[in-house]
Amino acid sequence: MAVLTFTLSEEGVTAFRDALNCLSKFSEDVSIEARKDSFFLSTMNTSKSAYASFRFATSRFFGRYQYQGTGSFQEKFFCSMYIRGLASLFRSRSGVESRSEGDKQSIIDRCDVAIEDGEGVKSRFIARIIFRNGLTATHRLPFEVSMPVHAKFNKQEALYHWSISSRTLKQLVDHFGPGTEYLDINTDGDHVNFTCFSEKTISDDAVLKKPLHTSIAVETDEFDDIDVEDKLQIVVSIKDVRAITQHAAITGNAIVARYSLPARPMQISYSGDAISCEFLIMTVGERGGNPEKRTKKVRKGAANKGSNSISKAMPHLEETSRRASSTPSQTMADIQRKQAASPSMPPPSSSRQPPNPTPRLSAARASASRIGAFDFRPSQRPPPPTLRSESLFVEDEAWEPVRDDDEDADEDARLEWDHSADPNPSISHMGRGDDVRPSGYEPTEEAQPTAAESTFLDPTQRLSDVQGLALFPD
Amino acid sequence: MRFHSDLKNIRTFAKLTAAFSALEKLVWLRLSDDTAHFTVVPDTGSQIWSALPMDFLFENCTIQSAEPGNTINLELSLQPLHRALKSAQNSISASLRLTKKKGVPVLSMTITTTTSRPSHGNAPAPSRQSHDDPFGDDDDFSSAHLETSLRREHEKIITQDIPIRVLHPDTVASTVQPVLQEPDVHIQLPPLLQLKSISDRFTKLALASNGSNKSPRLEISSNMHGGLRVRIATETADISSAWTDLDNPELDPAQLRVPIEDHPSTKFRDRGPDSWASIYVDGKDWSRVLSAGRLEGRVIACFCHNHSLVLYVYIPHYDDAGGDDAVLTYHVQAYTA
Repeated sequence: MAVLTFTLSEEGVTAFRDALNCLSKFSEDVSIEARKDSFFLSTMNTSKSAYASFRFATSRFFGRYQYQGTGSFQEKFFCSMYIRGLASLFRSRSGVESRSEGDKQSIIDRCDVAIEDGEGVKSRFIARIIFRNGLTATHRLPFEVSMPVHAKFNKQEALYHWSISSRTLKQLVDHFGPGTEYLDINTDGDHVNFTCFSEKTISDDAVLKKPLHTSIAVETDEFDDIDVEDKLQIVVSIKDVRAITQHAAITGNAIVARYSLPARPMQISYSGDAISCEFLIMTVGERGGNPEKRTKKVRKGAANKGSNSISKAMPHLEETSRRASSTPSQTMADIQRKQAASPSMPPPSSSRQPPNPTPRLSAARASASRIGAFDFRPSQRPPPPTLRSESLFVEDEAWEPVRDDDEDADEDARLEWDHSADPNPSISHMGRGDDVRPSGYEPTEEAQPTAAESTFLDPTQRLSDVQGLALFPD
Repeated sequence: MRFHSDLKNIRTFAKLTAAFSALEKLVWLRLSDDTAHFTVVPDTGSQIWSALPMDFLFENCTIQSAEPGNTINLELSLQPLHRALKSAQNSISASLRLTKKKGVPVLSMTITTTTSRPSHGNAPAPSRQSHDDPFGDDDDFSSAHLETSLRREHEKIITQDIPIRVLHPDTVASTVQPVLQEPDVHIQLPPLLQLKSISDRFTKLALASNGSNKSPRLEISSNMHGGLRVRIATETADISSAWTDLDNPELDPAQLRVPIEDHPSTKFRDRGPDSWASIYVDGKDWSRVLSAGRLEGRVIACFCHNHSLVLYVYIPHYDDAGGDDAVLTYHVQAYTA
């Protein structure tokens, strides 16, 4: 019996796809949470340094939305699914390169979804995709019933915030080259500096393999409003910021970032058409000498507008976190502290094994065989980046040399965010944290402070450093 | 050692780096008072040697070096350079400076740019009042409007630090350009995109039928009567494409080492259209070479039969029609039959 049935409009399919695309850059699995009047997609990455959530209003994207609470799902239904399996269903069949009349026919018109679960019923996410040309493809995906982990953000703690147009931020992020790991955000008088760097230590002979070190100075006037401690350095993972800005630029609305001190989470939120998005990402960094001094600017009209959009977005998110209080909803720092304190504690659900791949494959195959000759098997390739055409940099593909298939694989691998390669990024590798890290936090790190010290790298250039070391005197 | 310069022709510079990086990850750049030498020498495969007039890419340039001839030799990674140049496209201004950051030498590119706000449409030009406080007390519409246009014009300073290695003159002394012979046949190539797509198709075909471990060899031949052929021969197939009526440009007798009537190309011309100069190239390497087409320049191929193939890629001078021509010399890795 269906716990939840809904129909996604064509617009809804796109919004869904964009959200899944963004979530897939954080984790392999997505948590779905449905209530009578709301629908959430959320995920937390394996290192628990980033949390992403999307709330869909049921009115706009859902042509029909029916929730029937039964049994253990009286108030809400929740489950966890493999993102790429789900995202591939909604992949538009019309490729970027071929936009002939025939391909337009294969655009998804709408999607009927039924989630079945309960006594004696197989747990299945059944998606019936109706194409423009009248074809219907039905996919049955397995899911795992597991409580979603929500990270909570304490807004009272967040002393600092800024908001800026998502398109502007994306254009800035576009200037950062590949191969970098961290983004340092710091204020210096009238400017906010975004510096993208890598802290991988590189031997002298491999110095040319270093990635581009990019720093962008943005006037505070560029921000809708800003209130940040002067000289405060906050460092976050550039990978997460890229994923967020990519999605935020689709909505085109203002992005609001709230944070306090290094090693405390940063909240990034924005709202789109009937969708509100919230991200929590872990920070490291360094505090300047004068916490009293603030870089502050509040723009009258813009500030009102900004706070409006926040107040629209925030209550829902707050609500979620509060209502989900039965789940282990702490701030990420809390989670980590707890884990450090009691290592025997069973890990929260996001660190569990991904669902067994075999049933997933057979499900996909089963649906493929139903359709017979048509190859509707969902491709395992990730969907093309949505914003490619809008990007600042347009690649000139025709001039690319012929490549081997192997080389192609390499190329693809390089373009993708690899979640497996770096199981615990941001926090543990960053040096300079000894003074800001709360005591008892990540004790393994404390055990080897010398290692942290030796790979230590200043996130930004200090003026005094430059003057002292100038190779080419004026 | 000092180097500082404003950049011009950034779009062409970016295309140059893209063409270079098709062959190799690194480029050797030799800067001197009047020439910028870009040299790409991969371990195997085709090489690029070029001598661009300094004012082709740089202006207001300062070079100070203790090395003979006031030269600076740098090795730099093409991917970061290319990326930085793309950042600099559509910028207000961009400049390049040799410096040291945290003890590591870098080529630092400073870019002044704005971010566009497509959602705001055509906002008016920045007002003269931009030095006044635009966030004053008046709440009326005009001030809000002014605010929008001001914010639109905000400049951003982007600094892109490109990792480099400063090379000692002794290090580069051993790298010398291959000797150029008087060619048997010289011909202007057809549009490179056309040539590339056909060559690539042949290469892929051979890869598919041979298995991928052996790189296919394409036979490239040309005569002094406007003919060019590209041919692939596998065990099961033998395909060739031919172009006719291409241009065999006239040679300038003043620049020849031999009298024009004794020049090999004259002899080839006299022997008629059936006299072909041929060479074999590696399909994948050839494809990388043909990436030069993105420079949108004229390309002259010089064949020495069964010996060598050299391409001269002329880069159009966008800003300054009277400026010196910039030429890239491709020494294509060639095989005999």
